[in-house]
This record gives sequence, structure tokens and C-alpha cells, in this order.
Amino acid sequence: MLHIARAELRMLWRNKVVAACAVLMPLAFAVLLIVMRDRFGGAGGTIAALQIIVMAGFGVYITATTTLAARRQTLLLKRLRSTAIADAGILGGLLVPVVVLNVVQLLIVLAAVVATGEFPVNGWLVAVHVAAVEAMFLALALATWGLTGTPEQAQITTMPVFILALGAAMWITLTGSRSQVALQRSLPGGASVEAIVGAWSGTVPGTQGLLLTLPTLAWALVALLAAIRLFRWEPRH
Amino acid sequence: MSDPAAVPIHVDRLTCRYGEFTAVDDLTFTVERGEIYALLGTNGAGKTTTLEALEGHRIPTSGSVRVLAASPTDRGRVRPRMGVMLQESGFAAELTAEESVDLIGAISGRMDDSARLLDRVGLAGKRRTRVAQLSGGERRRLDFATAIYGSPELVFLDEPTTALDPAARDHLWEVVMQLREAGTTILMTTHYLEEAEQYADRIGLMHAGRLEHEGSLAELVAAFPAHIEFRADPGSRELPGSFERHGADLFSLQTRSPQEDLLRLLRWAEAEGVGLGGLRCTPSSLTEIFRGLERHPEPVVRVGGRS
Repeated sequence: MLHIARAELRMLWRNKVVAACAVLMPLAFAVLLIVMRDRFGGAGGTIAALQIIVMAGFGVYITATTTLAARRQTLLLKRLRSTAIADAGILGGLLVPVVVLNVVQLLIVLAAVVATGEFPVNGWLVAVHVAAVEAMFLALALATWGLTGTPEQAQITTMPVFILALGAAMWITLTGSRSQVALQRSLPGGASVEAIVGAWSGTVPGTQGLLLTLPTLAWALVALLAAIRLFRWEPRH
Repeated sequence: MSDPAAVPIHVDRLTCRYGEFTAVDDLTFTVERGEIYALLGTNGAGKTTTLEALEGHRIPTSGSVRVLAASPTDRGRVRPRMGVMLQESGFAAELTAEESVDLIGAISGRMDDSARLLDRVGLAGKRRTRVAQLSGGERRRLDFATAIYGSPELVFLDEPTTALDPAARDHLWEVVMQLREAGTTILMTTHYLEEAEQYADRIGLMHAGRLEHEGSLAELVAAFPAHIEFRADPGSRELPGSFERHGADLFSLQTRSPQEDLLRLLRWAEAEGVGLGGLRCTPSSLTEIFRGLERHPEPVVRVGGRS
């Protein structure tokens, strides 16, 4: 798996379009949020929650979907499956670099948020929800990949879920509306956004914060089940 | 039928269907250790599907395939002992030739030296060239390099010389023959009949998913009729045999006993005083047998062979 992961990092770095999507776009958005934080209420939790959703959406969801579609289209997956490595090792090798890269980016950006504002009261809870959001977007990428024929198509097929997740995050953080809590929590990443904002300010206790991982993990589970149904290693002819 | 445990490739009544379409229909054959077996066939005959079933990429609808005495889907057991050259390249455009061989080699379960291997397939000067910049023929050679990485016991070559120039083709066959001398078993598909004639120990001819003929080149050719042809004006005289007439004066005969038929024809011509223009007798050839596949689908003919 490590051999594939190393090659994948190399490919990611050398493919300027994917590298830009995975690194520059989320980082640009992060800088924008930090610079304009006062317009978003100024709270570190709000900025952090938005950044986690946007960066994981771009860096994991869109990038992983695009990467997998590209590797399938060029028959690299078929070639890798012609070797001794197991399927899980192949997928792991392709996806681990995407996730690791994204987590590193998040750490840098969240450190910048802390440096320019306040430290989260329940930092561990933020970390738990980062992991949940990463898992959700990874599973959603696997499911969306099943519906995506080419890397170009990935730019379109990922949009509905990405916009839904971003919309939910903005609805919760920017409007502060609490009239539709059940609906907000049921949207992809919605519950985690609520938990991250609360964990940062200390208004959401640990137990409640942990329970809020459940809707996010439920999205991951549903996406995984869909991915299993839609899964294919080779392009459809 | 050979013992599945004793032969590198054992295919027994393999059938692969895609929905209503039957790509491979009740296919049975074996490949012996150290043998080069060429699977030939018309377009869509089912060669690649057969190969993919043997490589573990396709699950058979029915029947069984055994590779190196194991299921081809048992990757941990089988893949370190077999190399695969796919019909299409399947490399990452962003990696260099050497990085591509390193990657596939590292997860092949075998050990080798990538630089030496690239040199062996004539790509020494392209080690640091990205796959995107390689020509079609160079990518085929790269593909071949990954298939023979670590000198596996069994190698699958799916149309290995497509897109190669004649010199590169000769070089590839040189390497294949070296592998064979070292005891490697090779199953290949090709559209170049002359390659099968020259290099294969046995040939399987597929058409519409079925194995129509199988045997060594000599056995296949001997099993099919020779062709006698001549021009004559016999008038009202009766010809010495069931010759077919084509147009005004062209006659032909498909025969399994060309010597006797030819002698009888010559005696008749002399006795009747008939001149035979353009007389020729040609033995059957792989090309003729191949062309006959679509014209006259026949039940499977197994001649000699080891299955």
C-alpha cells in the first residue's frame, strides 16, 4: 500500500489541475475566511467549521472522486489489480495520501485560526469531528465515484453533495438559525458543524458533541453502502 | 484431460456472459509447463475475456479456470508467480517509465532491477521519461517490462506486439523466447498469424466464443484440406473427381489426399489430351484456416496436442 501511496502523492503533485484543486483552492478559501473573519461574526468556531467543511469537501471529496475516476479511466486500477496486492491495499494506497494531505492542510489552517483568535475549549471534540467529516467525505467520494465515468465528470457529479454540505455549514454558522435543528443535523456534515462551533466556544458538552458524530457517521455508512452497490474497477464500455 | 494441479493453465468448460451476450462459450483447454500457447481468433471471438478470466479480472459465469493449480482470484498465492501484459496500457501518465516499473514491480511479489529490465526491453534511454510522453509502441514495451518483472513462471501477453515496429517486435520475441528457454509458460493472444506460426508451440483458434480448432501448426495444417486449382477447357469430357467450376474455365478441389487427386488429374489430362493451365496445389495454411472460421464454423477439431 505504501508503494501506491507514494506513487499517488507523486502523481498528485505532478498533475497541476488536481494539485490546485486539492491544495490551492481550499487554502485560498481558508485565507479568505481568516482575513474576512469579522464579516463572518469573528468567532473562531464559525471560521473553523466552515473551513473544515470546505477544505475536506474540496481536498477529500472532490479530489478523491476525481482521482479514482482518473485511475479507473486510464486502467491503472486494472493494472494494480493484476499484481499481488489486495483490493483494500489498492484503495488505501490511492486514498490515504489524499486524506493525509488534507488533514495536514487542516492542521495548518486551524493553527492559523487559533493564532489569530482563540483556542478551542474542547479541542479533542473538534478533532473527533474532523475525523468524522473526513470519513463522511471519503465514503461519499467512493459512492460518487460509482456514478462518475471520467475525471471531468467528477467536477459535476460531486457538486450536489458539495453544495449541500457547504449550504448546511453556511446556514448553521452564518445565520445562526436554530428553528430547523433536526433538518440542519440531518444534512451532510450539519451535525459536525454544530458540534465544532460548540466545541470551540465550549457551549456543547462532550457527550452531546460525541452524539453529534452519529448523523455524520450515518452519512458515511449510507455512502459506503451505496459505494458497494455502485462499485466498479473498470470503465464501462 | 490433464490434471488441473499439474499444468500451469487449466480451463474447463469456461463460459462468460455479459447480460444476454455470451463472450466465451464452453471453452476447454490446457497449457503445459514451458509452452507458448497462442490464442487466436476473429474480432470479438472471446480471447481477451478468456485471458481476463485467467488473470482473475473476470468471474466466469460457469465452468472453472485454474492457474498454477489455484484460483486466479487467489491473488496472494498466484500473482507473485505470474506476469500480466494487458491489452491496453493502464499506466499513470504522470509517472516516469522507471517509476511505473518500480511501482508495479514492488507490488508484484517478485524482485528485479527496473533499470536492467528497461534496458532489456529497449527503453533504457526512456527511464526518466514520463509515460505521457512515451509513444504507443514504447508503452507496449513498458507494459511488457512489468509483465516479465522478476521472471514469473507464467506470463499472459494480450496482443503484445500491437503498435510495435518490426524491429521492436523482433526484439520482444527474442526476449519471449529467452523466457521460454528458462521454463516460463506463456499464453498470448495476437492478430499477427505469422507470429503464432513462428513462435507458438500450440495454437487455439477461437470464433464466436468457442474454441474451433486446436493443435500445433503442423497438426492444424495437416488436418485441413489442400487446394488444387487449374484452368482447362474439358469440353464435354467428365473430370476425374468432384471439381468445382468457377466461371468459364477455372476449376478447384479441396482435398485431404492431394497426391492421389493430383496424379489422377494429370493422368486424365494426358489421356484426354486436355491442357491444364495455371495448375497449382497449395497446402492448407493458418491464414486459410483462420479465414475459414467465419465461413465454415465447424465443431472443435483437436489434432494431436496435449490436452
